[in-house]
Amino acid sequence: MQQLPPPKQYVAKLADTEPLNGKFIKFQFELVEPNLLEFIAGQYVSFLVSDKGERRSYSICSSPEVKHSFEITVDTTPEGLGVNFLKNLQFGQEVQVLGPMGVFIVQEEPREENLVFVATGSGVAPFHSMIPNLLREKEDKREITLYWGLRHEEDMIWQDEFQDLAQAFPNFHFHPVLSQALQEWPLCRGHVNDCLNIHTLPTGNTGYYLCGNAKMIQEIKELLINKGIAETAIHHEKFY
Amino acid sequence: MTDKKIGKYTVKIIREKCIGAASCTAIAPGVFELDEEQIARIISQQGNDDETKLLAAQSCPTAAVIVVDNESGDQVWPIISK
Ligand SMILES: Cc1cc2nc3c(=O)[nH]c(=O)nc-3n(C[C@H](O)[C@H](O)[C@H](O)COP(=O)(O)OP(=O)(O)OC[C@H]3O[C@@H](n4cnc5c(N)ncnc54)[C@H](O)[C@@H]3O)c2cc1C
Ligand code: SF4
Repeated sequence: MQQLPPPKQYVAKLADTEPLNGKFIKFQFELVEPNLLEFIAGQYVSFLVSDKGERRSYSICSSPEVKHSFEITVDTTPEGLGVNFLKNLQFGQEVQVLGPMGVFIVQEEPREENLVFVATGSGVAPFHSMIPNLLREKEDKREITLYWGLRHEEDMIWQDEFQDLAQAFPNFHFHPVLSQALQEWPLCRGHVNDCLNIHTLPTGNTGYYLCGNAKMIQEIKELLINKGIAETAIHHEKFY
Repeated sequence: MTDKKIGKYTVKIIREKCIGAASCTAIAPGVFELDEEQIARIISQQGNDDETKLLAAQSCPTAAVIVVDNESGDQVWPIISK
């Protein structure tokens, strides 16, 4: 396994918030002490969200090349302790963060020939860090596919960004899937499983990376195994 | 200065709750590791100091790590609201 940067306790301050639509907000934090965060694309950080020691984890959705700050994108619908803590932060307010953590990173050894990323909802966050990092910074020439399931078209974020990447890099393929699509939606409809079912999936030495809720991960895992994918080729990050 | 005590707390893992997010192993690698099923297990109660063990438990996204005070027998984490 790749050497992971050890987690540390950081103080960071809220530098920017950007509501991406009615559902998702992007938060940018600037590191205060220590002032640089080294992480591998796909890792997450844990925020102290109460004075009782309660914490919530959020995947870093920004580039690992940027070390003085990091971004997270949060689905605000749960409206619980974590979401409300983040939403109530004032600009410049300091937070206690523990990170980087997690092993949901693109495997280096053994190297996989193709990469398939599957997300639902906010599960796309780590891929927003990984995919541009692979394509732009690492000039990765492997076939990379992202399947991303959401309910409504208005829930979508980064659609233009992923589509631009697919235009610029012929080895990247983007499949957004809507479960409650309007009549005019031209692409895949239904659940992400339906989309995966109708596509021919690369077998051989392909790494499958799944991120989202536990039910989705279980269902996709079963689907992939039924299609002949080895369990060892399936990696996942469960958000809840 | 922090008092790096070892032996004050005992940690336990609720296997059914663990999602293999590996926060505990990252923070206290001397105490936790992931098994073949990507579920955390305890390798040693003494592998890290008590403060690190508590932090590892607090970082668990699913509250799958329980911390008990050896002397009083009280559960220190997750906090039980009274
Ligand atoms: C490793 C890891 C990385 C994560 N990264 C992200 C991330 O990048 N962005 C993000 O939005 N969340 C992420 N989460 C989820 C996040 O940690 C919180 O669970 C979430 O923000 C809800 O916390 P809360 O305190 O507001 O609500 P709680 O009161 O803790 O949760 C209420 C309910 O909301 C549901 N829920 C939890 N998370 C989500 C979600 N993301 N989308 C929809 N429903 C949810 C669950 O059913 C939960 O029971 C991640 C979780 C883990 C374990
Ligand atoms: S932090 Fe919690 S969920 Fe993650 S591996 Fe440890 S016990 Fe399991």
